[in-house]
Amino acid sequence: MIVNLGLVRRSLRELIPVSLGFGVFTGTVVGLLSYALPQVQARFMRRGFIPPQVRQLRNALFGVDTSDAGIAEVAFSMVWIHPVLIILLFAHAILVCTRIPAGEIERGTVDVLLAMPVSRWKLFRSETAAWLITAALVLGLAFLGCYVGTRFVTPDQLPDFGRLAMNLANLALVYGAVGCAALAIAAGVDRRMRAVMGVLVVTIGTLMVNFLEPLWEPAKHAAPLSLLHYYKPFAVMKTGEWQVKDLAILAGVCATLWVTAGVIFSRRDITTT
Amino acid sequence: MAVIEIDNLTRRYGTRRGIDEVSLTIGEGALYGFLGPNGAGKTTTIRVLLGFMKATSGSARVFGLDCWKQSHLVKAGVGAIPGDLRLWNWLSGNSALKLFGQIRGIDIRANGKKLAEELELDLSVKVRAMSRGMRQKLGLILALAHEPRVLILDEPTTALDPLMQERVRGMLRRMVSAGHTVFFSSHTLGEVENLCDRVAIVRSGRIVADSTLVELQRTAGHEVAIEWADDAAGREASGAAVPAGLTLDHQSARKWEGRFTGDVRELLAFAARKPVVDFRVARPDLESLFRRYYTDEGVGGES
Repeated sequence: MIVNLGLVRRSLRELIPVSLGFGVFTGTVVGLLSYALPQVQARFMRRGFIPPQVRQLRNALFGVDTSDAGIAEVAFSMVWIHPVLIILLFAHAILVCTRIPAGEIERGTVDVLLAMPVSRWKLFRSETAAWLITAALVLGLAFLGCYVGTRFVTPDQLPDFGRLAMNLANLALVYGAVGCAALAIAAGVDRRMRAVMGVLVVTIGTLMVNFLEPLWEPAKHAAPLSLLHYYKPFAVMKTGEWQVKDLAILAGVCATLWVTAGVIFSRRDITTT
Repeated sequence: MAVIEIDNLTRRYGTRRGIDEVSLTIGEGALYGFLGPNGAGKTTTIRVLLGFMKATSGSARVFGLDCWKQSHLVKAGVGAIPGDLRLWNWLSGNSALKLFGQIRGIDIRANGKKLAEELELDLSVKVRAMSRGMRQKLGLILALAHEPRVLILDEPTTALDPLMQERVRGMLRRMVSAGHTVFFSSHTLGEVENLCDRVAIVRSGRIVADSTLVELQRTAGHEVAIEWADDAAGREASGAAVPAGLTLDHQSARKWEGRFTGDVRELLAFAARKPVVDFRVARPDLESLFRRYYTDEGVGGES
């Protein structure tokens, strides 16, 4: 068994309530956006005019010109890259992935955890498994929120759910990369707040670079360092094709950070004092 | 057969000392006391034994397994209670037994319930509602319930009342008589004196004594007090050749106080040659003996 089921249950006992809260809130936000944004987009289309500021902001968000796109493509791309959704998902990843060992050291329970007859790698894999289960819960509820939101839009505003699912996979990898970065930082520190601050610096940097990329020349050079550079919902919604290169890069980042986190955790001294 | 073997174990925290060249061997079925003042290095030793920390140099082995590289295998046969026990607040006694059993892959509930009855702990209470003593009892139950071959206990009776302390000692004695080994760390002499067959005293990161209590008392020599008849007799005694092994801690013209390691008859003969009004020689009581170990450079030539 690659994980210890008892440890997975222990983590889930702590993570499910908070993740359920995150999931319901995220689902509600996505539901509201899925209901409202297609109508806003339809209004723009009816007028035949999109204010230049809105167009610029939208192009900054998507990284491409969206003038010739349909209602659903633009609206649901905006839903799935909306800053509130991104912030909620990143917050969940940071909250969950800074628990071991930083969080456990801080609350003094790491001694009991490490006294179990389980290798550190197994402990780490068990914690990762619990995280992935809660991630599926949060992302699943977000997708459900989107589905429920679309029940109230007109048929011409309905998205292609297959493409939405492809986009969700891409978003899941961005979320995973943030979580793995949190695991790596938390593996090396004794205070959870330090780990949180470390990941915040990384994620806020990511968001800033991504936002400035189409607007400010110097940011273009730093763009490949931003995780969101590899998340292009509009391209997925428009073409229906997997963004293989982006997915591969994100998967590589996740794998590298996860292994780094595991190596640090398995080799470091851990003490509560 | 040696169950715990520590060989020249050194652990530093940067430039700060943790433990320094600690060596000890504990056989199967021993009840081994690990005694020392706060900050002496007891918890550091335990953390290395449990694989929380890597040794800077030297080695620590339990069941012949390396405590760092094979830590999870070591812990399969070990029950441990950390010095500052903290459990997850949402656990109750019952759910803790279930969870710890699931993690260990064995059902420890029946055994745990028996231990809880003995320690008079209500297992339905959540950790967040437990007093420190109740949490300590739960920690002990969780450490003992899977009947480990070796128990590593870091000040396990802290926060327990004297009656419960005695009950815990009884449980540990029972386990030892059934062949289990107990490594019992404490800074309280009375506790170790009541319980352990053998004791190591650690001070400033080093083992300053490792023996049975009787042997420690024997090697510590005698406490001596001599009162001479007058100042002239005292001066005369000072001028004479005093027996080797006599160390005076307090000396005035008429009164000598100190320690003597050697044949008491020699000391008696020396004193008998001068006018003496009072002569006392006795083995030190354990309390004063341990005070000496805690504060001096050693006793009876040990360091």
